[in-house]
Amino acid sequence: MPISGISRGLIPVRALRAGVLAGLLAGGAALAGCGLQKDIDVVLPAYPAQLVVEAYLENGDVPRITVTESVDYLAAPTPQVPTDVTATLTLPDGRREALKFAPGVDRRTGKAYTHIGLRSLTARPGQTFGLELADTRGRRVTGTATAPVLVPIDTVEWVFNDKPEADRRAYVLMRFHDPATPLDYYRFQIHRRRVNQEPETDYVIEDRLNNGTEYSLGTGYDFKRDDTLVVSLYHLDRPYYQFLQSVQDARNANGNPFGQPSAIKSTIEGGLGVFTVLSYQRRQVIVR
Amino acid sequence: MNLRFAFGLFLLACLLLPAAAFAQVRYTLGGLVKAAGTGETLPGATVAVPALGLGATADETGAYRLELPAGRYQLVVSFIGYQPLSRDLNLTRDQRQSFQLLAAGNELGEVIVQGSGTLQQKLQTTQMSVERLTAKEAKLLPALFGEVDILKTLQLKPGVQNGGEGTSGLFVRGGSADQNLVLLDDALVYNPSHLFGLFSVFNPDAVQSVDLYKGGFPAQYGGRLSSVVDVKLRPGNSDKIGVSGGLGLISSRLTVEGPIKKGKGAFLVAGRRTYFDVFTRQINNLNKDDPDFNPIPDYYFYDFNAKANYKLGAKDELFLSGYLGNDAFSFGSGQGFNFDFNWGNRVAALRWSHQFNSRLFLNTTASYTGYKYEISNKLDQFSFNLASDIQDLNLRSDLDYRPNEQHTLKVGLTATAHRFGTGRLRAGSGDGRLNLGSDIRYLGQEGAVYVSDVYNPSEKWQFEAGLRASGFQSGGQRYGGLEPRAAARYAVSPTVSVKGSYALMYQYVHLVTNSGASLPTDIWYPSRGSVRPQRSQQVAGGVSWLLGDGRYLITNEVYYKWAQRQIDFKDGAQLFVNPDLDSEFLFGKGWAYGNEIYLEKKQGRTTGWLGYTLAWTKRRFPPQRGTSGINNGNTFYPSYDRRHNLTAVVIHNLSERVKLSGSFVFSSGQATTLPLGRFGFQDVYGSEASAVPIYPQRNTYRLAPYNRLDLGVVWQMKPTRWFPESDLTFSMYNAYNRRNPYFVYFDQVKDEQTEQVTSFRARQVSLFPVIPSVTYNFKF
Repeated sequence: MPISGISRGLIPVRALRAGVLAGLLAGGAALAGCGLQKDIDVVLPAYPAQLVVEAYLENGDVPRITVTESVDYLAAPTPQVPTDVTATLTLPDGRREALKFAPGVDRRTGKAYTHIGLRSLTARPGQTFGLELADTRGRRVTGTATAPVLVPIDTVEWVFNDKPEADRRAYVLMRFHDPATPLDYYRFQIHRRRVNQEPETDYVIEDRLNNGTEYSLGTGYDFKRDDTLVVSLYHLDRPYYQFLQSVQDARNANGNPFGQPSAIKSTIEGGLGVFTVLSYQRRQVIVR
Repeated sequence: MNLRFAFGLFLLACLLLPAAAFAQVRYTLGGLVKAAGTGETLPGATVAVPALGLGATADETGAYRLELPAGRYQLVVSFIGYQPLSRDLNLTRDQRQSFQLLAAGNELGEVIVQGSGTLQQKLQTTQMSVERLTAKEAKLLPALFGEVDILKTLQLKPGVQNGGEGTSGLFVRGGSADQNLVLLDDALVYNPSHLFGLFSVFNPDAVQSVDLYKGGFPAQYGGRLSSVVDVKLRPGNSDKIGVSGGLGLISSRLTVEGPIKKGKGAFLVAGRRTYFDVFTRQINNLNKDDPDFNPIPDYYFYDFNAKANYKLGAKDELFLSGYLGNDAFSFGSGQGFNFDFNWGNRVAALRWSHQFNSRLFLNTTASYTGYKYEISNKLDQFSFNLASDIQDLNLRSDLDYRPNEQHTLKVGLTATAHRFGTGRLRAGSGDGRLNLGSDIRYLGQEGAVYVSDVYNPSEKWQFEAGLRASGFQSGGQRYGGLEPRAAARYAVSPTVSVKGSYALMYQYVHLVTNSGASLPTDIWYPSRGSVRPQRSQQVAGGVSWLLGDGRYLITNEVYYKWAQRQIDFKDGAQLFVNPDLDSEFLFGKGWAYGNEIYLEKKQGRTTGWLGYTLAWTKRRFPPQRGTSGINNGNTFYPSYDRRHNLTAVVIHNLSERVKLSGSFVFSSGQATTLPLGRFGFQDVYGSEASAVPIYPQRNTYRLAPYNRLDLGVVWQMKPTRWFPESDLTFSMYNAYNRRNPYFVYFDQVKDEQTEQVTSFRARQVSLFPVIPSVTYNFKF
């Protein structure tokens, strides 16, 4: 549970109603002695494929981006990787650098990528980068991204509950100071041991109601003694924050009768996806 | 403008015409029609003078009035479910005469259905598009979990849709749930539902009747676009103390009523409470030592209704009505984490009724209504509190003037002070390092004056014309408009009437919800900033035909409604604690049109109705505010659009002690949004790519049609010393166990060995299978 920040995830009313209804549903199911779910045939109208981009630039790192295609929802789960896409990165000084189509897996991040740059980038806060994709079918995707300033983590603390040792758990609290500038957005993640796996904690917040003050972001009583945790604080720009929110909303709407489906708010034009410059600080702690 | 001018002339003509009709000495006969034994007033009862072929119908307070020449008459007072009463009268002056009718009992072999008015009256009245339902009627019908719900019963009427399986929200002629004006004894109720909409707040033991206006709105009503749900509480027994109640599957009810002072006044207090939490706490206690057991959250709701009336004198009476209800949801993890969620309404109304003379009546009501929700989280030293509320203080005064048999004038005014708390947030920590908060509040003032006249120029024609001028102000911005209302009836023959109506409505406060369903966290927001009042107009026409010697009434109505400044929200709108909330709104237009056929039978051993609605509801929100609008600016169907809707309700009096009932519903599938495409998303660090759904269009998919049969039996038990009246009510909800679609979602299919996704599939979820229930009701 986040301690502060007005994350929508913090107000789980729809989930609450879904929970109550799920309870009723479960009761009803028990009563009827049979399931209340079944497979059905659904005929969806054709959906034209769009280029999908995931491009996260990092200072000091070789740029690697992933370009795929969207598919009909019920299509086979085979990754659609177009091979005819050219990708060009525009650096802050105006130089254009072509990214080579060379699919692979980044061992550091564990991510698959399709295009890779020739050299490491230098990305300072405030610098703006551009990305342009084109394929032989005439599709063109463009986007720009500006590097946010780094917002450092002040402290990472943890507090154990008073249960017997076998059941004792701790919550983790990370504090930072929000800059005086308005419209700052953050992503808080905690991974166990390594960052290239599913995080234990992951949510985004904005500074709308508490600009320029200290923030405390926390978890539930989720961690045992001697757990090794990697705590990350990302400082996001608004488009990236909105993209993440829209992805979350879209996922939540599938299977939630009270969710309002949301369109994906991409940070690029002409396709779907995100192009951004990452700015984060990370700390590794052992909960003792 | 031309329309307003023409309407003004028409209204003026109606107002001036009363002066015409004073040719002979006529006296006024007036009074109340009540039920003997309980003292309940009987709205809809008729007082007839057969010799003159004249009659009057008791209004919602049970009052009737007749204008007659001096002379001797035989009066016949009648009402369905009661024994007719005949009385001789010598009228030599204005006279007050009240009547008490004895319940018909079972010797007539009829189901006791009161308050529905006779079909003859329904045929003759100018008012169209209105449905009246009594609690007694609703109690005879089968109900989900045995919980009788008068609002859900209204969903069985043509032109009314529900918001989803089991929910009590009303979607009337293409309007959304927040466009209903829900009144409890003239006081507004903002959130008329418990348990996320599964039950309404109206305890059937306390309710006398509900009138649902779908169109042709009388001028005294305003402030919402689509319907008026006018709930009247039952007056207490004025003759003796009585106790009644019921034990049900999920809740119990208890009502106490009686005279305050014999012949002067009566009171009624009714309460009910659910007991899910009693069982869930036991389960939690039994499993408290199991570390793998997840405690079940506590949930319950309760409500109290109260009503008292007291006669101050021959011409003055006070009525006090109140409602207090609360839903409570709480969860404690046992690890320092607590979550509490409470919401509820408070309503109080004090009405003073004064009769100046037999022709002039004044009702003045002062009321308070409030709705509030509050969410509290606590984890160790950290706390978080989110709340929203709305409170109204209202004063209204309605003057009824009946100068002669041709005219019934109504003049009134209403003023409301609104207080909106759209978001209050408090978050803090015990060490004081965290302390943030926000409290967004707005004030608003709303007012209206109206005048209307029902004019009977002849037996063939009857007109009703009204004009309402309403206004609203908030944040220094003012809005207002004229709301003309008109209706006409032409009696083609004694058994056939043709009717038409027109109404323009404004709505100045808006419900902020983007869930597609009513949630307790929905916020009421005033017209201010970019948010302008919603407006709608509706025209309706219909024909009613009385068949089978007055035993059947078949009505066909067509309607067309168009609405401006409808409200929706941007994708991903931030609705909680947003001081710039109006920037999240999108504005558009709406249309609704359809045809409703309705066959009713209210007398005999078998009663009920059959309704069929063919309807279309559409919305369009063009590109605006940096967005592509909704559905890329194209017209779309809201989720409650249903093309076909068929309902059938039958109540059969099998014997003196056994009543059978059944209801059947069929409706076209609900419009819903499904993702058309997906893409794989890896995120920053390389977890396995997951599918993200793409929703390019709104509500383009239709769920499978909905159909359901409910069955019920009311078995009246033999009188005992302690319980002279008691019954067992059996309900079978969804009797043939139909798996109706609640929603559809897409799921991944994985290989059991490798956990790899092999395909995607669509899954349909149903909510309620067959649900039998039994309720024990008693009265002494």
